[in-house]
Amino acid sequence: MLKKLIGGLFIVSISFGQTTANPQFSVVGDLIMDDLQKNPNLYSSGIEIAVQGYVNPFARADVYLHKHNDESAMELEEAVMTIERGLPFGLGLRVGKFRPDLGKINKDHAHLFPFIEAPSGMANILGEEFWAGTGLEASIFLPLPWYSNFSIGSFDSGLGGHNHGSEKEDVHYEDKDEHKEKDEHDHGKNEKQEQVFSARWGNFFELNNINHIEIGTSYYRDPENNLMGADFKYKWRPNKYRSITIQGEIVLLNIKKEHHDEVHKGEYKIKSDAGYLMINYQFNKSFNFGIIGDYYKETYKETEINPSIFFGFSPVEESTVFRLKVGQVEDHESHKKHLKTTAQIIWSLGPHKPHRY
Amino acid sequence: MRKLIIICSLFACLYGKVRVVSSTSDIANIVKIIGGENVTVTSIARGNQDPHYVEILPSYMVKVRKADIYFMVGMELDLWAQQIIDGSRNQKVMVVDCSVEINKMEVPTGQIDASMGDIHRFGNPHYWLDPENGKLIASVITEKLSNYDPKNSDAYKANLSQFEKDLDSAMSKWNKRFSMLKDKKIIFYHNSWPYFSKRFGLITVGFLEPKPGITPSPSQLNQVINQIKENDIEVIASESYFSDRAPKFIESKTNVRTVKLAQSVGAIEGADSYINLFETNLDILAKAYGVSYD
Repeated sequence: MLKKLIGGLFIVSISFGQTTANPQFSVVGDLIMDDLQKNPNLYSSGIEIAVQGYVNPFARADVYLHKHNDESAMELEEAVMTIERGLPFGLGLRVGKFRPDLGKINKDHAHLFPFIEAPSGMANILGEEFWAGTGLEASIFLPLPWYSNFSIGSFDSGLGGHNHGSEKEDVHYEDKDEHKEKDEHDHGKNEKQEQVFSARWGNFFELNNINHIEIGTSYYRDPENNLMGADFKYKWRPNKYRSITIQGEIVLLNIKKEHHDEVHKGEYKIKSDAGYLMINYQFNKSFNFGIIGDYYKETYKETEINPSIFFGFSPVEESTVFRLKVGQVEDHESHKKHLKTTAQIIWSLGPHKPHRY
Repeated sequence: MRKLIIICSLFACLYGKVRVVSSTSDIANIVKIIGGENVTVTSIARGNQDPHYVEILPSYMVKVRKADIYFMVGMELDLWAQQIIDGSRNQKVMVVDCSVEINKMEVPTGQIDASMGDIHRFGNPHYWLDPENGKLIASVITEKLSNYDPKNSDAYKANLSQFEKDLDSAMSKWNKRFSMLKDKKIIFYHNSWPYFSKRFGLITVGFLEPKPGITPSPSQLNQVINQIKENDIEVIASESYFSDRAPKFIESKTNVRTVKLAQSVGAIEGADSYINLFETNLDILAKAYGVSYD
């Protein structure tokens, strides 16, 4: 039903398309120098190709393709049509494959992070490249004096379905007791899940010209998991090139499982919590500096808290950015913590850029 | 009861007014002059903000959501405006590009790419910095307000006529008072001033930015220092939102004087209206060059 509806909407949008103008094309590429102290290696995470433009006067479309720097095929990250006008009650609608409105960080592409990699706790729950589902999402502005947006969506695949070569997580979950067998910890990585539902209520308060706060709450449910989240962002921005951003987010995931052995019977639950708190100071046009604390907790496991510091340098606006991160990580084999330094050079062609002020 | 009366009065005042949002404070000021009591106007970019880049805040969408008309600068300066308009989901807002009547300067020819810096395909978009272009902007605003709100059309036309008279009178005053600025050589930080320079006879020798939007490098600063010495340049002017570091460094190495000009209404003290924007800038430049004026 969902697929038919999406297909129908796409056909309608194509039928009413009124322009032959080309869309905007962008390419984002990078070079990463990882684990500089222990095991230095140099690689590229590949390229992201963005094709963006208006479908007709009522809708725009954004397509993001990712070609990893390996033998794998090109991956469709997102292909979404956003209807912004023409719907009753000021409704907005997104249809296709996209990153749903769940929490603060899920919608951001990795090249926008000032801290290079996604917080590992969030990645454990949302998936290495975060959650992108195929479905539709409606949103509405609530009639309140401030910006208040409520969105609700239905999708055909759940959390963790957007991983690419995720050996990291596989290692992470090995070597545990019966409750930690790999298949039980994949947080719904099977792509056949149905009736996935998510919702978010986001609020934005402009305190004055230079201070603003965003607060949001999110909910997610699929046949096996349910998740609740809360996020906030505070930004002080006296001018374009100077700002302090404090952003935090926490997600609480409940996973419903069934015992498959003769000793244990019935259902049991696993809980995973993840979150992060980031402070980023952009002190002039070219430089920013910040810290991030990354948190992850799971039933039967020790809590992980990994702090990092990061630094960014943008020599020519946002089209080329150099980033450096020094952070504490846990070795999944020895469970010992060590410092890891990662450097990244990221560049872009076209309007879809790696960095925003 | 008193609260209710206040709320009702406020509602009565707002009801019936044309709700306007503009990209910049300059356009907002002209809308206010033309629209008078019949419009309410809000600007997205503040006067002291770089209009090339505005962070898109959800609160801007709330402002545009109830707007009747949105006035853009156009010429790809305020590309961000479209995202705000789309995000507002306001199906009825009339979007007006104020650059339609402008005689555009520095329209590039041939292939344009990022190697040229932040170059605008349709020409230099800082056209409001010529008072004659202010009249053209006002004329577009008058036409659109009259179309939207025909019952107050006469008032808008009368306000336009008064605005044009005020600008003409200010121009003839400036031409006399600041005639000594003619043919003075100047270096700007960013290429925001071709319309202003042409109108008031300044000769632009160079820019601190090696290319539009690119931060000045040490070698570029050295080049500018040589340029100042060779051409005997007295003044470097920058927009209010740029850092003082590069101009002050050059000032310390040469005899040049550095000043900040108002690129928009509200950018610096004194530039509190479209006419005062020019008055303030010309006053600052005359003092920097040490030329006498009444």
